[in-house]
Amino acid sequence: MQISKPHSALLILGHGSTENPDSSQPSWDHADKIRAAGSFGSVHCAFWKEEPSFRQIWPTIEEDEIFIVPNFISEGYFTRQVIPRELEIEGHTSQRGDKTLHYCDPVGIHESMTDLLIKRALEVIDEGVSPEETALIIVGHGTNLNKKSTDAIKDQVEAIRAKGPKFAEVLDAYMEEAPFVADWKELTDAKTVVVVPFFIADALHSYQDIPVLLGIESEITEAASQREVFRRNPYKMGDRTIYYSSAIGTDPSLAEVILDQVAYFEEHYRS
Amino acid sequence: MTLAETLAFLLPPNAELRFGELYLTRDKGGVFAVRHRDDRKSEDGLEIVENCNDLRELAKFDSEGEYRPLKTAPTLRSGWVTKSDDAEEFLARLDAIYPAVFATWISYEKGELDAISLRDTLNRQTGMYKFAGSITDQMANEIMRSTCAKGCIRLIAWPIENDCPVSRLKAAKGTLPVICTEACTFAVSEARRLAKEAYEKANAT
Repeated sequence: MQISKPHSALLILGHGSTENPDSSQPSWDHADKIRAAGSFGSVHCAFWKEEPSFRQIWPTIEEDEIFIVPNFISEGYFTRQVIPRELEIEGHTSQRGDKTLHYCDPVGIHESMTDLLIKRALEVIDEGVSPEETALIIVGHGTNLNKKSTDAIKDQVEAIRAKGPKFAEVLDAYMEEAPFVADWKELTDAKTVVVVPFFIADALHSYQDIPVLLGIESEITEAASQREVFRRNPYKMGDRTIYYSSAIGTDPSLAEVILDQVAYFEEHYRS
Repeated sequence: MTLAETLAFLLPPNAELRFGELYLTRDKGGVFAVRHRDDRKSEDGLEIVENCNDLRELAKFDSEGEYRPLKTAPTLRSGWVTKSDDAEEFLARLDAIYPAVFATWISYEKGELDAISLRDTLNRQTGMYKFAGSITDQMANEIMRSTCAKGCIRLIAWPIENDCPVSRLKAAKGTLPVICTEACTFAVSEARRLAKEAYEKANAT
């Protein structure tokens, strides 16, 4: 997506982590890529759990028009409550003094995520492995506290299925609600399974927790950036073979999705 | 004046500034440089860091390799220097080490940014942090002593309560203050912990 807004700023929002050093890295990487392309006057990142925080960011941005894109997977507690509250914004466009703030949709719900998930799954399986005989499982966090938190994943699973018989099966699974990712062997009979975590970063959940739930690690490992080898695909478990990809949010193409959300804003929410 | 121009004005050629654990200089040719204040005496043998990404990585871990989620923790590594002749790039490098800290000070000094009381910050919280606002003033003081004063180099500009008078911070000569205009996630988390502990103690059978 070509965007040319030399007089506007782009603000990418991430969750960040006080425990895992890799959580904010994808947001910084996407910001660098967009900055290098010169699409905006300036490109910034802010985080819930790291610095600069959502509350600290405003004095750093000098442009009068700011596009805010949450680098979050789903619409829910963070995008609907925490971010608007912390940034003191309301609706799609807010005024803050002389500045006009445009609040875009989170990256995870953009339709271009579907092709990205398919690409990621096909990349991680070995050459010679037939996708048609492979089950694709998209894994999310899930929480019983918010029914909407799984919508983005269910929508993507439907969209991948609708695109045609690329995979033997396409399933959704979650860490904290049914269908549980820990039950993956019961969720599908396929001998080969590729799992793509629908997360923003290779951090606590996608890099450390889910591999234990899948059974490909026996205990929680160090953070990804602290290990010499990222992942040793494939993993043989009895007569099953499982491939586990890095989090979807680490794909460099996600920078494009951030721009896609700005374009979507211009087309649908610009008043 | 832009932020970069303000930085160039505050740090003219042949000048130096202290900025938290940082030592900022500008030579007579106008080149900006920053290194750890422990390396103030000499640049000899320092690792040259040439971009924001590498500085961000450097600021991410302390000398023991421990993750530094709080960039103003008093644990910034020494042994490096970064230079630029461009004020905008130099500001970006400072931001890689101390995100938003320079802009926060400038905005505060101009009177464009007010400090937010701890009570307002805590009362705004929802979800798992909702009950953080129930802490007593004694607990708030404990947070300032144990979490803020020990774990962070920022000067606190906020009051505990809205009706507590606080004087506005001023820059000492030759320094750029590293200030805190609003309690961060660590203080909020500590407030939650103390509130939860007090609740459990009060309801223990």
